[in-house]
This record gives sequence, C-alpha cells and structure tokens, in this order.
Amino acid sequence: MNWNSRVRCALVSLAFTALFSAFSFRLVYLQIVKHEEYAGLAAEKHGERQIIRAERGKIFDVNNEVLAHNVPVETVVADGTHLNDRAAIVDLVSAGLKMPREELAEKFAADRRYVIIKRDVPTAVTESLRVQLRARNLRGIYFEHDATRIYPNGSMLCHVIGFTDFEHRGIQGVEASMEEYLRGQDGYRFIEHNRAGQEIVLYRGQERAPRNGYDVHLTVDLHLQDIVESEIDAAVREYHPAKATIILMRPQTGEILAMANRPNFDLNQRSQAAPEQMKNRAIIDLMEPGSTFKIVAAAAALNERKVNPGTEIFCEHGLWNFGGTPLHDHRPFADLSVKDILIKSSNIGAAKLALGVGEQKFYEYIRRFGFGERSGIELPGEIRGLIRSPQSWSKISITRIPMGQEIGVTPLQMTVAMATIANDGKLVAPRIVKSITTPEGKTISSFSPTIVRQVISPQTARQIGDALRGVVSDRGTAAAAAIPGFTIAGKTGTAQRVDPKGGYESGKYVVSFSGYLPAEHPEFVGFVVLDDAHTSKPELNYGGLVAGPIFARIGEKAARYLDLQPKEEIRKALPVETVAIGKAVAR
Amino acid sequence: MNRSRRNWNAVDAASLARWIVLTAFLALTGLSYVYLTLQLYHLGERKKALENEIASLRSQNDVVSAQIAALTSRTALQRRLKEGYLKMVPITERNIVRLTTPARSAEEDLVQPVANQTVH
Repeated sequence: MNWNSRVRCALVSLAFTALFSAFSFRLVYLQIVKHEEYAGLAAEKHGERQIIRAERGKIFDVNNEVLAHNVPVETVVADGTHLNDRAAIVDLVSAGLKMPREELAEKFAADRRYVIIKRDVPTAVTESLRVQLRARNLRGIYFEHDATRIYPNGSMLCHVIGFTDFEHRGIQGVEASMEEYLRGQDGYRFIEHNRAGQEIVLYRGQERAPRNGYDVHLTVDLHLQDIVESEIDAAVREYHPAKATIILMRPQTGEILAMANRPNFDLNQRSQAAPEQMKNRAIIDLMEPGSTFKIVAAAAALNERKVNPGTEIFCEHGLWNFGGTPLHDHRPFADLSVKDILIKSSNIGAAKLALGVGEQKFYEYIRRFGFGERSGIELPGEIRGLIRSPQSWSKISITRIPMGQEIGVTPLQMTVAMATIANDGKLVAPRIVKSITTPEGKTISSFSPTIVRQVISPQTARQIGDALRGVVSDRGTAAAAAIPGFTIAGKTGTAQRVDPKGGYESGKYVVSFSGYLPAEHPEFVGFVVLDDAHTSKPELNYGGLVAGPIFARIGEKAARYLDLQPKEEIRKALPVETVAIGKAVAR
Repeated sequence: MNRSRRNWNAVDAASLARWIVLTAFLALTGLSYVYLTLQLYHLGERKKALENEIASLRSQNDVVSAQIAALTSRTALQRRLKEGYLKMVPITERNIVRLTTPARSAEEDLVQPVANQTVH
C-alpha cells in the first residue's frame, strides 16, 4: 500500500469513527442524559394508571333480604387524541346512547384525552355499541366498568337505608353512617397502550387488587317493616296527618325492628323527592310528647319512694291553679292513686308527682331516661332533643313538663324510654346495625346490646308496667289499643301542636301511643305518632282513639308473625269514652 | 501439486466450527427471544381476553342477581299479589297447631354490656 492509499484509508476510518462517535454521543445523550424526560413523555402518551373500582357493599335486613345492592353499568368515555373518524363516531354514539349529536360534537371538539360521554349506561347498550365500533374500525371511545345502586324495595325503609350520590358516597341513612365499611378500596394498575388505545398486556406494571366493601346487616325485619309500612299508609289515608312515624324496637337488645315515616320517597327515584320527604323524623323531629311523658314523672316519684302505686293524690276536681296559671284535667278527678294517675292520664296528678320529687331530681330522671342526649343509633343527623335545665325553668314548668309540654323529644327517645320500662328499668342503647360481614360472609364486626344505665329499679319498672296495663283496659285511655289474647302495656299522648311562631296551634294535635306486648314478657315496644291527624270529629283526635288502634293492628299482625302464643282469651276492651278537648290539655 | 498446496489458505477447521456454533447460538438466542416475546404478547392478549370474559360473566351474573332481587323483593311480590298472580290465604288461629310452648330460659334475656368489636 502506498502513502496515498494509507492516507485515504486513515481519512475514511477517521470519518467513520467521527460519525459513529457522534451517534454514540447522541445515543448516550438520549438514553442517559434525557432519559427521565423522554421516559416521562412516553409514559404520558402510552401509559396510564387504570383504576379498578371496588364494589360497594350490600345492605341486608336481619333475614338476609337484600335492601341495597349494585347493578353493573358502564361509563362511556372518549379520548379526543384517539378519535379517528369523528363524524361517524358522533353518529354511532348518538344513536347508541340516545344523545343529541350537537352535545357529542361539542364534547369531542375539545380534543381532551378524557371526556365523560355518559354515566350509568346499561351493559347491554355498551356491548352493542362496542361491537358496532369494532366492526367499523372506529377508535377513541372507551368503556369503564362501574356500578349503580339499586334498592329493590323502592320506598320501603327509605329513611333508614338512605342513598348515595353519583360518586357512590353515602349521603343519608345507613349508606352514610356505614360509609367506611360499605365503600371498599379501589385498586389500580399501571398499563401501557398502543396507538389504537388497546392495552399492551406485556407491559403491565404494578397493580393492586380492589377490596370490595363490606356488607351491612340491619336489625330491621322486613316483614315487620312491611306491617308497619302498610299500617302507616292506612293511617295516612284515613287521617291525612302532616307527618307520621312508627317505630318497633326489641326492648332487651335495643334492636330496631321497624322504622317508618311519612312523607317518604322512592329510593330509586330520589331526584324527584322533596327535602321534606327525605327526613327521618324518628330521629330528627322535635315533638312535645304529651301524656306519654307521664311515665317519667311517675317513675321518678316511685323510684325515689316519695309515693307507692296505691298512694292517693288529690286531683283538684279537674282544675288547679298553680303559679297563677290554671292546669286542667280532661275530666274532673278527686283522689287518684299513682297507678290511676297513669290509667286516667291526669295532668294535675302527674304535676303533683313531679313536685313531690323536686325540680332538680325530676330533671335528673328526665336525663337518665335518655332525653336531651343522642341515643347513638347508627343513623346520621340524630338530634339531642330540647331539655332545659331547672335553672331556666319557669315557676310552672314543673307542672307542665310531666305532661309532656315545654320539652322537645324525638320519637326514638320516647320509644327508648318506654323500652326502659319494659326492660326492668335498664336503658339499652338502640341500634339498627346487627353485623358487618365480608362479601364472602365472614363476620367482621357484630354489634352487641349495650346497657347504658339502670334508670329505675326493676321493682319500679314493674309498678309502672302494671299501671300501663290498666291504660289499655276499659278503665284506661287506650282501650282501643287492646289486642285479644295479649296483655298490652302502653300510654297515650295527645299534645297540642307547637306553633313555630310561638304558643300552640289551635285545633291541631300530635297524637301518640307508646306500648309493648306481651306486657308480662315484652317482645317488642312500639311507638306511633301522628302529627295533625284529621278526624271526622274533633273530640276523636285523641291518642287512644287514633294512634292506639294503629298500634293494636300492628301488634296483632306482629304477634302472629313472631308466633307469640296468646295466653288466654282476653275480650276486646270496650271503646273509651269520648272526651272534650280543652286548652293546654295533654292526655 | 506441492506448489498448489503451498498456495492454499490454511483454514483452521476447529476455529471455524467454533465461530459457526457461536453464530448459530447467537442466532438461535435471538430467534428464541423474538419467539418468546411474541408468545408473551399473545399470552397477554389471551389473558386480556379471558379477563374480559370473566368481567363480562361477572357483570351478567350481577345483572341477573339484580333481576332476581327485584322480582323477589317484598314490594314486587306484593304488587303481584295485588294483580292476582299470587294467591295467599291468611292462616287462621284455629288452623295453627302448637306442639310445644316455646321454651325460655331465665338467662335468655340477660344482656351483657360489651364493647363493640372494631374492624382491623
């Protein structure tokens, strides 16, 4: 090789070396120096964190009847950067999802990578759309698995079950209070997709499986709930009250067996419901309880041994001026025993019992019965009620509170108070959730009865119970609440309706009945309250005549369902005498 | 003869064989890599198809479960009862035969205060 040839060879080699060195430097620059930047860009373009939705837990009644569950649906979304034939896609999607073409065209125009086209689309519709898109090789429309909440029983138990928002968050009832258990935990998966938007499974990254929500089992028995719902509907048809509430509760355990309110709404069409229809009045409505509250005054006096059931109290022949204000009874009574004060529902007698106990002690008993505090039931929005301390009582408060005026209680508090009498003086916290299980049925948590306190002695509770049996008799104010074959204990209440502007509304009453059966071994406590019932005659608007018979019908059906054996043939009590309604009278 | 033998390039057969084996090995390794990568891709596609099938079956199952729940719900059954599709006759007290009185132990209603369990 001559010199020229050697030079040429060297030059060519040098040129190649320089070229490949440049390539190498570029390669190193791209792969090492700019690695993070370009890897990020690639991941942004082809990679995504796919959310795997957890299924919300179901809600069951005590017999495992489904109250709330999920139906699979899909959310249709579009990736504006993947759309290959917009006009054709708009036509197809518009026809498939029954959406206006203009709305779709507007959504696609933005060229965004994630546009929600429509939520809660049934899987049958999306499957058909998917097939058509594939057949015409149209790209850019995707389907995300989702679920919508369905309530098979419609309006039944609507206030207790509650509902969820469009993001599946519970916003009322058990759906809200048990949110942390029902919700579950979404999973995720890092995926990469090709130009057509299809996942490249080979490049699947880190993933975490979703944990489905736990199932919630309620204490409510749907059969008893059905009995209560049909009776409350019948009552609404007959009396057209502004509001109505019925609660059934097992006194020994505090389990709520049924809870119904009117007005109500259909859980599957909740968007059409007015706010007034959505209120669970059993726990958020303040009411003056009327004479059902006399059990507290009598229990306090008996428990403090100020009196015994036979102690005679002079009832002033129906009119007593105390503190310069007259207090009426619905009928004139002379001497009544403590037992008869409850049976005859004497306001003056109850006032004198409370006076005997004293303001501070009486207030303590009111609080011990659970009034003025939340019961802790697993439902959102429960109120405390309105119980003023003795320091803010007027001179006559001690005579008005025993007959259920000047205080505000919830229907649930009143039910719990009656359950305390039925349960030998033990106040058991009411509860509506029985257990929480995994979707496979393994119990995660089971809620046991909780005794809050011994309010009165068992002996006092039995003495009150004896008197309450007399209430549901020919001699009492609730003869119409009697059920043949069973002994019932209960108390009527007729309170004038509080006017929001102050004072009481004329001619409007809140009638109630609270009782339990069988009296000797209570299986359930019931509370029926109708606000502003319309009776054919004003003198019939009375707890014993309106709420009492409703309780009797519910009790009879419930006893049959619970297979309670009638003890003896007890005749149906005679109807109670009609009475005139006076001012500031509670019966 | 000797002259022509002298002009031959000496070929190291062993070395040639070594190179051929090495090249073949590399080629096979490359082909295997491509083949296995393709297999992984196809298996991934198959996995995805199976996942979709399972999801679809689960979805169909959920839809059917929802239909069963809707058709057997108390509200639906009552509607059917009202429409006359179902006939139910209430059992009268006379027709109920009680074999034994339900036994109750004294401790049955004893309620023990307990703390609620929590989820871990």
